Order: sequence, then structure tokens, then C-alpha cells
Amino acid sequence: MIFKRLLDKQQSSPPMEAPPTNVEPIANTAQLFIQAIQAATHYPDDLIVKSLSPTLTLLYINHLVDNQTLNDHIIAPLQVNTTTTPEAVIDTLSVADIQHGSILAEAIDALVHGAALIHVAGYSKVIFASIITRETRALSTPENESQVIGTQVGFNESLATNISLIRRYIISPDLCHKKITIGRRTHTAVSLIYIHGIASEQMVNTVQQRLTDLRIDALIDSAVLAEMIDDNSLSVFPQMLLTERPDRFCDGLLDGKVGIVVDGSSMAVICPQSFSEFFQSQEDQNLRWPIATFVRLLRLAAFFLSVYLTPFYVAALTFHYEVIPQAFIVPLSESRALVPFPPIFEALLLEIIIELLREAGARLPTKIGQTIGIVGGIVIGTAAVQAGITSNILLIIIALSALASFTSPSYMMGNVVRLIRFPIILLAGYWGFYGIMLAFCFLLIHLLRQSSLGAPYLSPFYPPRFKDMRDSIIRMPIPLTAKRPTFTRPTDEYKFNPDEPIKPKKS
Amino acid sequence: MAYRYHEKEGDDEKMKKWLWCMILLVLLLYGCAQTNILERIGLTTLIGYDVGKEKKMQTTAVIREVNPEFQSKVDVITTEDNTSKGNRMEVNRRVSKKVMIGQMRVILFGEALAEEGLHYYIDASLENASVNNGVYTAIVKDQVAPLLEYDYQNIEDIGQHIYRLLEQNIQQEYMISSMLHEVGRDYYAVGRDMAMPIIEKEEELIKLSGIALFKDGKMVSTLPPPDSFYVKVIRDTFKSGIYETTLQSEDLPSILQKKTDDTMTVAFDAIRSKRTMTLVDAKNPEFDLTIKLKARVLEVSPSFDQSHRKSVEALEKAIQHKLTKELARVIAHSQKVESDVFGFGEEYRSHVRHAELTKEKWHSLYKNMKVNIHVDFVILRNGVFE
Repeated sequence: MIFKRLLDKQQSSPPMEAPPTNVEPIANTAQLFIQAIQAATHYPDDLIVKSLSPTLTLLYINHLVDNQTLNDHIIAPLQVNTTTTPEAVIDTLSVADIQHGSILAEAIDALVHGAALIHVAGYSKVIFASIITRETRALSTPENESQVIGTQVGFNESLATNISLIRRYIISPDLCHKKITIGRRTHTAVSLIYIHGIASEQMVNTVQQRLTDLRIDALIDSAVLAEMIDDNSLSVFPQMLLTERPDRFCDGLLDGKVGIVVDGSSMAVICPQSFSEFFQSQEDQNLRWPIATFVRLLRLAAFFLSVYLTPFYVAALTFHYEVIPQAFIVPLSESRALVPFPPIFEALLLEIIIELLREAGARLPTKIGQTIGIVGGIVIGTAAVQAGITSNILLIIIALSALASFTSPSYMMGNVVRLIRFPIILLAGYWGFYGIMLAFCFLLIHLLRQSSLGAPYLSPFYPPRFKDMRDSIIRMPIPLTAKRPTFTRPTDEYKFNPDEPIKPKKS
Repeated sequence: MAYRYHEKEGDDEKMKKWLWCMILLVLLLYGCAQTNILERIGLTTLIGYDVGKEKKMQTTAVIREVNPEFQSKVDVITTEDNTSKGNRMEVNRRVSKKVMIGQMRVILFGEALAEEGLHYYIDASLENASVNNGVYTAIVKDQVAPLLEYDYQNIEDIGQHIYRLLEQNIQQEYMISSMLHEVGRDYYAVGRDMAMPIIEKEEELIKLSGIALFKDGKMVSTLPPPDSFYVKVIRDTFKSGIYETTLQSEDLPSILQKKTDDTMTVAFDAIRSKRTMTLVDAKNPEFDLTIKLKARVLEVSPSFDQSHRKSVEALEKAIQHKLTKELARVIAHSQKVESDVFGFGEEYRSHVRHAELTKEKWHSLYKNMKVNIHVDFVILRNGVFE
């Protein structure tokens, strides 16, 4: 049973390397210290060793430190005052983040994290002045979660920038920030962010424990992290939201959720997240409530349309010709008459063509991507109908369901919608509406069994929480949505007092 | 690394076993379901039954077929056999596609067959799961086969045409409704009889030519099409049909008359009608039938000054009188042929304890039933023209 082995989570793990128990002290002569550092970092060419005075030696990795600060605040003052003790050096430097240590491993760790090391001859102690600079891009609009009304800023790859964006939205001492390093080789900084007094202690502890328990060697992106720490990694449905919008992230925090930001990744993770929240956009909060409600219902309809429209076509044409409306039957059967394949094959063929187009469009450079859109849309679309391999009604249905799948504000959920359609089409082609019903039951049972940080995935519908439904697939006016979602188990249940008007009446 | 808090490892194993079983089932059972791919079947849109010449039953089926060569065509095939399934086999021997009846919209019966009794056909249609209960039923004057087989100049799909004809008239409430479920209800209910529209060929057209009245599933009499208004008004509520009547000079009050021998033609559409039946006497059945009609006058000829309250009231009175007379005539006719299409019997049965009504018993009672008709006619608006 190869498959069984593949699915088996108890993979045989390679023996873990024992963590280096290096407590080697720092040598008190510059010569030996430099040698030790070079040996530990494998003689890199960008390690700069600079002797400032007979007693002071400066070490740093080029391009990892800020040259301006290095020149103005470290080299210049040290050249003016020739100090000979570490304490005096610390006093001399006008750099904020200064520490000192006497263990070699600590020094190396600081060096690779962007510190300039200053060794004073005669002392087995070294000073770390953290003057890190990292290449990062400027803030830009979120590419994948664009919205019309609302803030136009997205996270970027810098953890520091992202934290500062979050701190700008939530100016509060209760905003808690815990740093965890993940990855045996990459030492990626991961920040756990939540609001004390709203977020449930238990959930924070759960996330923290899951993060610290991770024994992996590398972490490149937050999407990987989200898949590793969610409740059911085997499920096709995402259980944590990946967002590149700081406003959405902060809104989640204010609902009592826990956020995770990964250094080097422009997507932040928010959990727990319920199924219906994947169909909400941050823009819904900014629109007037009837419009937001309409848009949310539209998205929900689009989900069902996208998942069930093609299977419905396949089932109706293969088994249940009775349900086709009378006015539809002649055009439908006339367009089908030229097609040599059974409906299931026809539908799968076209679905795969659409998926190919989407994938090609996503992989290609933007300029060529547009060409592909035209080639795919016009050439394949009309040619396929004229060549008689598909009916034009199916073409409309497939295009409609592809379009509908893109309305999901979460790209991850959009992918799921596109994927789960295929088994449903197969079942529809095998057993008609019974097959669709079977697939629906499977889907429903699967969704019911899912949880996000232990919170029910189908909340607020199952278990039913009527007050939470006010902000689920509909959005009621803000005065009526005083309660935070129950499934996050918030410590503070109300955003504001629901009995008092939030806007005092005009006198 | 998946975290599962609510499950034990054993559950997981069991789930996996189930999953494999399901996948195996899907693979093994593929092919067990019988497919009816749309373009590979012949869709029967209409079926007509006649009395057979040699065998028991003659059917005429209107079948729509789609082929790559000719896009779509309509076949009218007449066969004879002893059962409807046997007839379907006969039809199958004559066409290139599997004949299915799931898209059937109309069932027609020949007049001779209807006089013999439709019990078997209504039963068979209701029992057949693939026959929609919303199909329209109608009687064809004389035989069904010639009506369907005739090559009409302007009608491409005769099945579709008859369906639209019936649907249009029934939805506009110009004709009594005769969907299969209604016909079945009327047939099986004690104290109620079926009624169906009659269609006939009129040169290049097909027209609704009356209402067939049934007794115990056998057609006993007919009424002309204008009487469908009265039948509808007594049978159920009425919403939007148009009705036209001519008031004879003796019915007309003098205020509306310019000359003494004038007749007045009035067309109105009933906005709402409500009928109430009350059983007054159970021994010798006697009913009070009250009909409240709210209508707007569409046309009056010759015209009169409608702005006077008095003359409008006089018109209301005149129409009331006229309607009462007509209703009495229609009821009397149905009593004569013992066909209770209005459902007086149901009213009787629901009000008389231990009535133990049977069809025979009711029909004999119905014959001598007395009905007091009160019509309350109100003109809501006048001068509204369509």
C-alpha cells in the first residue's frame, strides 16, 4: 500500500542533530578571536575585520549592516576616544541596541543577525552593536486582495515594517508581540501577535505551543507555516487566513483572533478562521450595509454556482433530461447534437482547458499573460464550438463557474472551489443527481468535522450562533453587531455596549 | 504535523478504511446507472390516446429528435397495441433513438375513448414516475390521430404548439385548468368530477372548442367555451380572466336604456372572485352559493354615462342578474348529466357526519340538489381600457 505510506503522518524521521552545546568563551586576544569567528563562519569574503586601534577590533558582515551608522556612530567616535575597556566603549557608542557577551556562539549569532562586533584586547568579552539593514521594497498596494474602498497598503517582506503597520492601526499597550525563531537552518523570525484582554488565553497558548514545537529546518513563507500548524493539514480547505492587508489583519486581532507574521513573507496568518469568513472581504466593512450584504450573498451564490453548475449540467444531460426546462431543451440538444463525447467528458475537457489557461496566465509574465487570455478565450472558445467538441451552452456554464470561483476574496479558497469541482463532476457523470448529493454530503460532513484552532469551522451556522450570523453571510448595520464572534472565545465579548447607542441622539 | 484534539487514532484508521471502500464503490458502480444522454433520446412531448381499431389502444406520439444532419425534427407516430408500454415498444421500432416520456407536456384523449372511460389512462399516467404530474390533459373532438398528423402550414412543432395553447389559455384563466394532478384529484375524490378542455382542428389552426364534463371518468356532456367562466367561478377563485356578456333588453334597467329594445354588451375582467358554498339542508341537499366578484369594466357598447353612480349601480344589478341566470343554467345542465364538476359533493361530505358518500350515492343526490345562487357583483373601476 504505497498510498497508505504516503498518507501516513508517522514518517520515519532522520536523527536530529544535537543542538550545539557550544559554550566556548571568547578569547581575550584579537588574533584568536578573529580566527575563531572566521572558522565558525567558514571564512566568508564579506566578513570585514578592521583594527581601529591597537586594542579595538571591529568585525561585521558587509551589506548586512548600515554603513552610514557604522561610519558615523561606531568608527568615528571610537577613533576619537581611544578607550580600552568594554564599559567605556559602550558609553562611547551612540547606537541604541548594544549588548555584550562572553560566549563565542552568542557573538556569532549576533554577527549573522547584523551586529558589528567590537573586541577589546585583554577582555574575554565582546560588544554587539546591532545596526542591521535589510533590503526591502517600499510599501505598495496589496496585489492579491485589492479593494476599491479602503486602505491601499499591504504588508511587505520586512517583519519590522509589518509590525509597524500593525502598531499603527492598533495603538494600545495591550497589543502583545512574541518573537519566536523557527527553522534549524534559516532561523526565521516569527512574530505572534494578539490583543491581551480580547484574545483567548487558551488559543494564544495553543498557537504558541504549535509554533515552538515545530522542528523544521527552514521556513520561507507564512503559507507553509499555516499549513503546518493548522488543525488538519490533510484537508483541502484552508483553516487559517492568509492576508496581505494590515487592516484585515488588525480587524481579526480585534475580533479576538491570533495573528502570525513571518519575516520575509508578505502574507500574515490569522487564526482561528471560520468557513464563512473566507468569503468576506475587508471592503464589506467599508461599504454601506445593504450593499455589503448583497455582495456577500453574491459571493455565496457564486460559490455554489461555481461548485455545482457544471456538475448540474452533466447530471441533467446524462441522466435527468426531465428537469431541463421546456424552452431550453431544443437549443440545448441542438448544440449537443454535434458533440461526439458524453457530457462528462465534454465538461472535464473544458474545465481542464480553463484551468490550463488560468495556470498559464498566472505563470507567464504580465505582458504575455494578456495575450494568453485572448488566445485562450477567443481561439480555444470559439474554435472548440465550431470544431464540434463542445456545446456553446457548456462553454458559457464553464466560463461562468470559472468567473464565479474568482469572486472569493481569499485566493486560497478560490483554489479549493476550483479543485473540488472535479470530483463532483465525476460523480455527477457517474450517478447524476445522486452523485451530486453524495458529493454534497461528503463535503458537508468534511466541513463539519473541520476545526480551526479547535473552533468549529462552520460557525456560526453549526453550532448555530444567531447573534454571530449578523456578520456572516450578511452584514447587519454596525450598531447591531456589538458582539465579537463566539468561536474565537474572546475574553471581552462585546465591542461596545449594545444597549447604549454608539451615536448619541441629536438633541 | 497535524494536530487533532477531538479524535483518537482508531477513528482515523476507521475513516481511512471507509474512504477506500467509498472509492472502490465509486469505481465498481460506475456503469450501473442507466444513462439517458439528451441528444441520444427521442423526447415525447405529447401523447394522444384513441380507441384502437384492432387492438385496445391507439396512441399517437409527438417525438422530437435531434441529429447532427438535420438539427431537430418532429415525428408524429401512430401505433396500436394493448398497453401504453406496448405502444412505446411499437414506437421504438420506428425511430432511431430511445423514446422517453420525461419531457411530456400534454396528454390528449379522443372523444370516443373519453366516452368509454379514462380510468386506466389516468391511473397509468399517475403511477408512472417519469410522467410529470403537471402535464395538461385535454379531449380532442373526434380522433386524436388526424389532428396531430395533419401537416399544418404554420405550426412547426405540434406538441409544443398544443402545450403553449393550453398553457396560455389556462394561465390567463380563459379555460379551466386540467393538469394531471388536478384531474387525478377530481377523479379519485368522492363528490367531484373531472372537467377537461376540448380542442379541435379548425382548418390550419387548433382551437379550444369547449369543456368536457365527466361522470365517473366517462365523458357525458360538453359546454361551450364561454361557459368555462361560470365553471371556473364556481369551482375555485378567479383572478384575471376576461368575460364578455350581452345583457338582453328585458334584463336591462330603464336607466340604461335609450330605446326599449336595446341590448347591451359588456366586457369585464374579474379582479377577484370568491365563492362560498354552504350546505343549508343535508336531507335533500340544498346549497347556498355566494359568489363575490370584483371586476373592472373594459368595454360597454352602447356606451352610457358611467360617471353617474346610479347608472353604474344599475349596471351592476343587471350583470348580477344575468350572472345568476347563467350560473343557474350551467349548474342545471351539469345536474342533468350528473356531473358534479364544481365539487358540491365534497362540501356535502365534509359537513354531513357519517355521510358514507359513494360516487353513485352522490350522483343520485346531485341530480335533485337545490342551489340558491347569490351573486355580489361590484364594479371597482370603469373606463379602464387594456
